[in-house]
Amino acid sequence: MASDCDVAVIGAGAAGVAASVVAARSGCRVTLIDVGDRPGGQYYRGADLSPSPRAGVDYPALAGDLDRLVAAHAVDYRPRTTAYALERAGQRLLVRTRGDDRHRQDVDIIGAGTVILATGAFDRPLPFPGWTLPGVMTGGGAQSLVKGQHVLPGRRIVVAGTGPFLLAVAATLLEHGAEVAAVVEANDPVVGSVRQLRGLTSGLGKAGDLGRFIAALARHRVPYLRRHRIVEALGEDRVTGVRIARVDADWHPIPGTERVLECDAVSVGFGFVAQLDLAAQLGARMIRGADGGLAVEVDDDQATSVPGLLAAGETTGIGGVEAARVEGLVAGATAAVLSDHASALTPSALERVRRQVARWRRFAAGLHATFPVRDGWVDSVREDSLVCRCEEVPVSRVREAVALGARDARTVKLLSRAGMGWCQGRMCAAAVDGLCGFDDIASLQGASYRPVSVPVPLGALAAEPVEG
Amino acid sequence: MSDEIRFTLDGEGMTARTGQSIAGALIAGGAMSWRRTRFDDRPRGVFCGIGACFDCLITVNGEANVRACLAQVREGDRVERQEGTGYGE
Ligand SMILES: Cc1cc2nc3c(=O)[nH]c(=O)nc-3n(C[C@H](O)[C@H](O)[C@H](O)COP(=O)(O)OP(=O)(O)OC[C@H]3O[C@@H](n4cnc5c(N)ncnc54)[C@H](O)[C@@H]3O)c2cc1C
Ligand code: FES
Repeated sequence: MASDCDVAVIGAGAAGVAASVVAARSGCRVTLIDVGDRPGGQYYRGADLSPSPRAGVDYPALAGDLDRLVAAHAVDYRPRTTAYALERAGQRLLVRTRGDDRHRQDVDIIGAGTVILATGAFDRPLPFPGWTLPGVMTGGGAQSLVKGQHVLPGRRIVVAGTGPFLLAVAATLLEHGAEVAAVVEANDPVVGSVRQLRGLTSGLGKAGDLGRFIAALARHRVPYLRRHRIVEALGEDRVTGVRIARVDADWHPIPGTERVLECDAVSVGFGFVAQLDLAAQLGARMIRGADGGLAVEVDDDQATSVPGLLAAGETTGIGGVEAARVEGLVAGATAAVLSDHASALTPSALERVRRQVARWRRFAAGLHATFPVRDGWVDSVREDSLVCRCEEVPVSRVREAVALGARDARTVKLLSRAGMGWCQGRMCAAAVDGLCGFDDIASLQGASYRPVSVPVPLGALAAEPVEG
Repeated sequence: MSDEIRFTLDGEGMTARTGQSIAGALIAGGAMSWRRTRFDDRPRGVFCGIGACFDCLITVNGEANVRACLAQVREGDRVERQEGTGYGE
């Protein structure tokens, strides 16, 4: 029930795969832990990639390398496994893991000299009346159903929120035969031209993605409604439509512009939130990323403030799949050096990769400047709209907590119960902070602290840590 | 794809493809929700799709609160819609 390695990588998305390959090729014993059943993370989702014609550091090449390293037992790959806690034991770190929901009792404790946190992100939703109706889901949720399950969430779908990711979701839905009623974008990105948008967003996915998305939208004559927002989702036991409105530059709905779009599913998302539970458990220093959300602070080597803990990908700030991959490469090289191995990346290759990290990060900053979450949603959200889905807490109760004197996220949570349910605030913390006007790091960090990141059987929690 | 798995939702026969999640199979079968909330008794289904929101909880072979978006269907699974906490309280 206990195992040991040089480098434990948590998350097998683009960042974690890249990090594992570099560390293992440098001679480190690597354990790669991932919730999914195949490597790839949220972007690749175990897609069957055409084999890369040559060795290299693009994702298909790295995925092929990983397969070979796993087969050669150089990487101990653990799919369907959740790392639920991270703790220190002297010079080493301990990763506590649990099987998936059907194997909750399969627990392990993995000792490692270096841990690379590559746990990615989840969607950032904002509340509106009706957002809990079946059929309303996040953009990532829609992507996961269509790309991962080959199932459409509906026949006629409204895609709403902000950011170029809306276009990715709409294109996926169209490619799989759904009708997209409209893409409802709260910001106004296309001030200049489509070319400008393409320049800004080419870093989000793979090169060429965005051109494909825009072409798909044009071919299917999908309206791209800029400066529009959903004000309410309609329906009794499942969504049957949305009420949308034009909004001003600050996202306040403009009176008299409301209209209803009929649909049987809705995809919403306002960017992403980094998964930071494990970093918070070790007290890693946090910063606010370019999108205003919390992120782990890392240096040029992807090292966090905690000795032995590295981070790569969305955990260091939402930056897209290419930023994740190149940061993973750097983290793998750093882990090799920390484990007294010569890095498989030559100094000149590493230098090239570092420049790419800087470039993708600049891109991400430009993107976030174009698609921010604007304050107008806060004073226009209806009081009876639920904000915490788990505990069914309406906006009004969060406001009452502030009126009672709550001045930090923790107190608001205790008074209102928002964030006390199953998801531990993952879905509502960003909205609650917005409603309360909390934006200092301490307050945000308080809300992201979760002693365990998923429910764990009591027996597993009682197990003593092993000395590594 | 031909490998069909058979399972039941509240006793009714359903099918899934090998490797499909419970949520994927239920939505393919026309179900959009399979849980009712504990306070307001409202229907819920998939929201985040990746195991983060816990809205898709369902009971599988008597075990409550399994995330349908992550758990794969297995042959013969008895899947049941869930009410409130899932423990019959
Ligand atoms: C649902 C969803 C869908 C997305 N779809 C797209 C898309 O289609 N196109 C696009 O351009 N961008 C998409 N994104 C944005 C995406 O975050 C990045 O583009 C990219 O996937 C980032 O790579 P990463 O390696 O940092 O993280 P990810 O790809 O998110 O990989 C992180 C991995 O870590 C695993 N993990 C998380 N926590 C734990 C834990 N505690 N223990 C074990 N494993 C854990 C996750 O299951 C996941 O496999 C999506 C994001 C989400 C949330
Ligand atoms: S849909 Fe969010 S956990 Fe399953």
